[in-house]
Amino acid sequence: MSLASSSATCLSSAIRNNSPEHESFQKFFECWLSGQNQHLQELISAAKSPASAADEAALRSLIERVVKHYECYYRAKATWSRRDVLAMLTPSWRSTLEDAFLWIGGWRPSMAFHLLYSKSGLQLEAPGRLSELINAMTTTTATATAIREDLADISPEQLSRVDGLQRRTIKEEKEISEEMAKRQETLAAPDIVELSHVVSEQMTAGGGGSRDGDEEEEEERVETALKPKEKGLEEVLERADELRLRTLKDVIHLLTPIQAVHFLIAAAELHLRIHEWGKKRDAKTHQQRHLD
Amino acid sequence: MAGICCGVVGEGETSATIEPSSRALKRRKMELLTYKFIADVAAVPATAAVEFSRKRRKLELCASGCSSSRGCDNGVESSGARNKDGSEGSQANEASRLNLPLNLCENSALEHVENESLHLVNPKFGVTSVCGRRRDMEDAVSIHPCFSQQEGSVQNGFHFFGVFDGHGCSHVAMKCKDRLHEIVKDELESDRAVEVQWKETMERSFTRMDEEVQESNGSDRISNCRCELRTPQCDAVGATAVVAVVTPEKIVVSNCGDSRAVLCRNGVAIPLSSDHKPDRPDELVRIEAAGGRVIYWDGPRVLGMLAMSRAIGDNYLKPYVIPEPEVTVTDRTDDDECLILASDGLWDVVSNDTACGVARMCLRAQKRPSAPRSPGNSGEDKKDAAFESSNKACSDASILLTKLALARHSTDNVSVVVVDLRRER
Repeated sequence: MSLASSSATCLSSAIRNNSPEHESFQKFFECWLSGQNQHLQELISAAKSPASAADEAALRSLIERVVKHYECYYRAKATWSRRDVLAMLTPSWRSTLEDAFLWIGGWRPSMAFHLLYSKSGLQLEAPGRLSELINAMTTTTATATAIREDLADISPEQLSRVDGLQRRTIKEEKEISEEMAKRQETLAAPDIVELSHVVSEQMTAGGGGSRDGDEEEEEERVETALKPKEKGLEEVLERADELRLRTLKDVIHLLTPIQAVHFLIAAAELHLRIHEWGKKRDAKTHQQRHLD
Repeated sequence: MAGICCGVVGEGETSATIEPSSRALKRRKMELLTYKFIADVAAVPATAAVEFSRKRRKLELCASGCSSSRGCDNGVESSGARNKDGSEGSQANEASRLNLPLNLCENSALEHVENESLHLVNPKFGVTSVCGRRRDMEDAVSIHPCFSQQEGSVQNGFHFFGVFDGHGCSHVAMKCKDRLHEIVKDELESDRAVEVQWKETMERSFTRMDEEVQESNGSDRISNCRCELRTPQCDAVGATAVVAVVTPEKIVVSNCGDSRAVLCRNGVAIPLSSDHKPDRPDELVRIEAAGGRVIYWDGPRVLGMLAMSRAIGDNYLKPYVIPEPEVTVTDRTDDDECLILASDGLWDVVSNDTACGVARMCLRAQKRPSAPRSPGNSGEDKKDAAFESSNKACSDASILLTKLALARHSTDNVSVVVVDLRRER
């Protein structure tokens, strides 16, 4: 079964399931993670195989499949967030470690550049790599292609484009953060403040107990007041997710296929391991609490 | 303006050549500088005065045959120094679309000199400037070959290289990028002495630069400046400045702050500037004599705030933090290989020796001039190819040093300029 269809399967089985929203997204997420893990193995073996002109097409199709897998994730996220944006912003399927580093319900887009620079740096500082690169400057382009390429090889033009993309991404990230700030501030808008006051007054007057009819009416008023606020959050989340996916694609786009493979490996490794470490820590804390 | 030839190099081209269509033109070709520029020169930034692009490069070719070298001067004015294209963060694709307001001007005084000396006069360099792991870009780079043009003057062969590292915001660094070379040019031209008094000239220039920064506070601020919305008076903004004026005989380095210039001579790294850190013994004495204090708060800082003891701007820390540069004048020798100017984003993680070693290896690895492109293979073509590959070597060096800084977890903006100082052999 191809992975593209496997993520589609994840999606359809999770949708079919009639469990509460966050629960079914959790199922989807776990399924998606195993797909990512499978992709990671493929990427690693592709990076290890010796370079040849013929496999460039194979690399490209592998990259395309991996990107499709990410696209599928964000499509699913958008679907669920229309139903329950609050659950998507406080994802119960994430560990507390991941949760602490989230930016608007996901990874911070500017992190992509740190990831790229860190991975590129590690490959540049690998034994002998620096002198290999300098030697490559003397050889003609024809022989230079025989040298294994990775993220240490980022060209001047690529670095320049990465830098430009980084600045634009940070700018957008700041704009979205500002947008989020505005939406969050609306929680103290007059309508909510008034409603909270009215309900408080009723509670004092009613001496704590309230009739069923009142309670229903109150619930309805609260729902009506909160609905547009949630809608606002949904829009911000949509923008944030769009920037995340676009940044990933843009970075891949300016890399050569083999460099993109190395980048995707680094991205998947970081994502999967952080998730695991977080889950392990949470389990430990949980255990501790039970013992106390 | 018959004396000025301008060429715009389109995408994918690596050179701008002027086709001789007649005998007369052919003769003029000897006088014209037909420089070829390498697209790979990695100038990234919106903030660099010299910005290169694969997509669009403006290459000013100033004729050596112009009756007056004023023509070259005008060329500089119209497209080079006045270039304001790259205002920070304004363009969607600014980094990939780099303008090259590079003026390679020859002057009338040198017009009959052999081609060898023409190449000798024009600088070969590479520049890289990236945001790196910072969220804001506060570095600026300014490069102006032949920045001072006066008829019959020796100053025509002077080149300006500057790296400015801003703090608080980017606008002081930007202002230095836009103005300092013009101020230095002005000071040089008003200097009537037979021999340039470098120390005085550069000190006056830095003082004027600082005054301009003070004057402009609150007025003609750069529109994209991020401190615009914060304080009406941007007193807590400044920039380091390391400037090298390279002449045929000398390297004049003026430094104010913690950026640095290092000369690579016969494989040995010779620092041509000394960082202005608040705990440098003589700087500490100076600060305390002025009534200031150095407080350790995440390293030594003037009044516990600024981690350098000299800078352009920073009015709030005057007179403890001063804009006065330290100037070194070094005679060029045949052993000189290259000059590296960089912000602390490089020097914090790469030693002078390592930087020098890497740059030297890149220059040495420089590709031999390849087979001639045209059948009429002239010596000139070969020289152009050599010029091109030397520029490539310099940009290889600047990019590799930048990558090394990023690899070693530099958390700052990284700007590196490498200038080839080797004599033509």
